[in-house]
Amino acid sequence: MDVVDLARLQFAGTTSIHWLFVILTLGLVPLVAVTHTAAVLSRDQARKAVLLKATRFWGQLYVVNYALGIVTGLVMEFQFGLGWSGLGKFAGNVIGAPIALETLVAFFAESTFLGMWIFGWGRLRPAVHATLIWLVALTAYASAYFILVANGFMQHPVGYGARDGTAYLTDLAAVMTNPSALLALTHITAAALMTGAMFVAGVSAYRFLKGDREFFQGWLRWGTVAAAVLSIAVYEVGALQYPLLGTTQPAKLAALESNGVVAQAHDIMLYIGYSINTITVLAAILVFFKRMVRWIAWSAIVTVPLPFVASLGGWLFREIGRQPWIVYGELTVDQAVSHVSAATMWTSLVAFLAVLVALAVANWWLIARFVRRGPDGVHIGREEQLS
Amino acid sequence: MSLEMVWLVLMGLVLGAYFVLGGYDYGTQILYPLVGRDERGRRVVRAALGPFFFGNEVWLIAFTGVLFGAFPMLEGTLISGLYPLFLLLLLGLVVGKAAVQLRGLVRNARAWDGLIVAGGLIAATSWGLVIGALLNGVPYGTDGVVTLDWSDVVNPFVVMAGVSNVILLCAHGAVFLTLRVSGDIVERAGKLARPLLLAAIASVAVTAALSGGTAVTQPTAALLVVAVLVVALTAAVFLAARDRSGWAFVATSLSALLPVPLVGLGLYPYFLVSAEGGMTIAQGAADQATLVTLLPFGLALVPVIVAYQAWSWWLFRGRVSPATPTYF
Repeated sequence: MDVVDLARLQFAGTTSIHWLFVILTLGLVPLVAVTHTAAVLSRDQARKAVLLKATRFWGQLYVVNYALGIVTGLVMEFQFGLGWSGLGKFAGNVIGAPIALETLVAFFAESTFLGMWIFGWGRLRPAVHATLIWLVALTAYASAYFILVANGFMQHPVGYGARDGTAYLTDLAAVMTNPSALLALTHITAAALMTGAMFVAGVSAYRFLKGDREFFQGWLRWGTVAAAVLSIAVYEVGALQYPLLGTTQPAKLAALESNGVVAQAHDIMLYIGYSINTITVLAAILVFFKRMVRWIAWSAIVTVPLPFVASLGGWLFREIGRQPWIVYGELTVDQAVSHVSAATMWTSLVAFLAVLVALAVANWWLIARFVRRGPDGVHIGREEQLS
Repeated sequence: MSLEMVWLVLMGLVLGAYFVLGGYDYGTQILYPLVGRDERGRRVVRAALGPFFFGNEVWLIAFTGVLFGAFPMLEGTLISGLYPLFLLLLLGLVVGKAAVQLRGLVRNARAWDGLIVAGGLIAATSWGLVIGALLNGVPYGTDGVVTLDWSDVVNPFVVMAGVSNVILLCAHGAVFLTLRVSGDIVERAGKLARPLLLAAIASVAVTAALSGGTAVTQPTAALLVVAVLVVALTAAVFLAARDRSGWAFVATSLSALLPVPLVGLGLYPYFLVSAEGGMTIAQGAADQATLVTLLPFGLALVPVIVAYQAWSWWLFRGRVSPATPTYF
């Protein structure tokens, strides 16, 4: 493999692992925010206690995922500079803006406020405390937006003029409202929320089968119905992107007709999507009539990994499908790759992937452990409950 | 002041804040087994990092964001040019961050303690080497590409810069712990602070003495910054001896930050210099249109960030104890 292949593999590997954390973060944080708010607003003390317990349980799983995911984010922030120095030279005037804004507007607030939320139990006024998790949720989605603006420019460059091998920003509003970014954002928002709902359904199903029925049967029902509704939304919004591709990236659509890796990635996304549709809709109907609950519980557990795999397929379709361009129609990956030796690239590829895979394994091992312990084994806000 | 200079100062502030905040994290990580002798002590030292652990690292992320937004021509050349050093830094960060967070849950605690120390040590070393290599001069080719050679890193000046940064951050971490923990751990951290501060002064002096053949373009300015660094460390020695930990921490914070203006002023008007040429601040910067568009965001957001981080520090101020909560 030459340096370009290695750099591509490194970017694909680190981004994919990073994304597995991100999709769950995006999927869970609105749920934690809504539950926490409902708990704060509730006047019935018994109901408030149950909702706070749920906030702490789902919040714990979310925090584990975030805390290890932020570390993979550190690696991502350097990937353009490490592997693709030509991208900054050509497109830095344009995509540097959303990336700078992502760090200053979104990432900063998300991390700081989450730290305060985690340690704020019993220290902050409940209304302030719940507001913090809303800020975390809002900035998490703002991050996704800014990153997709940068990615959208690479897919479908707009709002710029190119002179002497450099792109210049001419219309920030056009860059920020690039349809390639906005449609993708809507699609992955629905996908992340669906992933969160299926995660909640799967975890609740496990606890339910373990005998923790009273607390979790409501969450199992809620997760299943939400996943069914959202899986349809993911499909509908996703389908809106095909007409756009017809005008912006016809080669990507044409690649679907062949049997290549682009088509395979697309089909993985699509057929897993169909399966998720079928399973969740059937399960939601059965849940509604309160039938075959054990069957639903088992299928909810088994389907938890599916949206993760499907979304990786979607990303690979989006990214491999635009090759050989790094900025569509303007700059190829060959032109953009850094002047680094193959040996160096091999070293970093192996090192990054080894460390990030270990992080992903640790993440799921930890999540599984907190799920096995159940709501009584949660660390977040433990002291407040004792006092 | 030109637009590039405004952005240079903003970027320097963000990087400086990271050196201060991330710096005490790394120093604390390195001293962790020395200060926290037993299981209880180690738990306290980890709790000391507590609520600020996420917020500190974000300054580094913000630095790379501002670097890409305001100086995109520099970003790729710098990071890909110093590839091995940034690779080392990232591996140190990933391992250290993960180890601090996971340590409380795992069985073979010894190995994880080792990872906590290694992570801090690698991060502190690689930043020292980056600073040293930039001051020493990087091989900037006529094609505008930097290709780092072994001899650009493994030479007395650059290695001493790495060593100085490690000792400096250890001293910074020790002083931080005297402010943040309680009981016998404060005593142990206090005992370590004095020799570490003296060693930091000595290693900075040795590094400065070795700076003869470096690429520094403004030697007077650079020496002035080094002088302030030595004065700040000396002040920290006296303040720590009189139990003025708060002020001692201010002094070590200033010391941890000074490598940033050292590079900025010492290489002015360049970012990257070598005998063959270099990249000036203006050449590294984004187009004027981009700099103007981003400016209001930069000027408005940085104070807002400082304000809400300050709120967080205020909220979680005070000393930690074995009873302080953890979230894992």
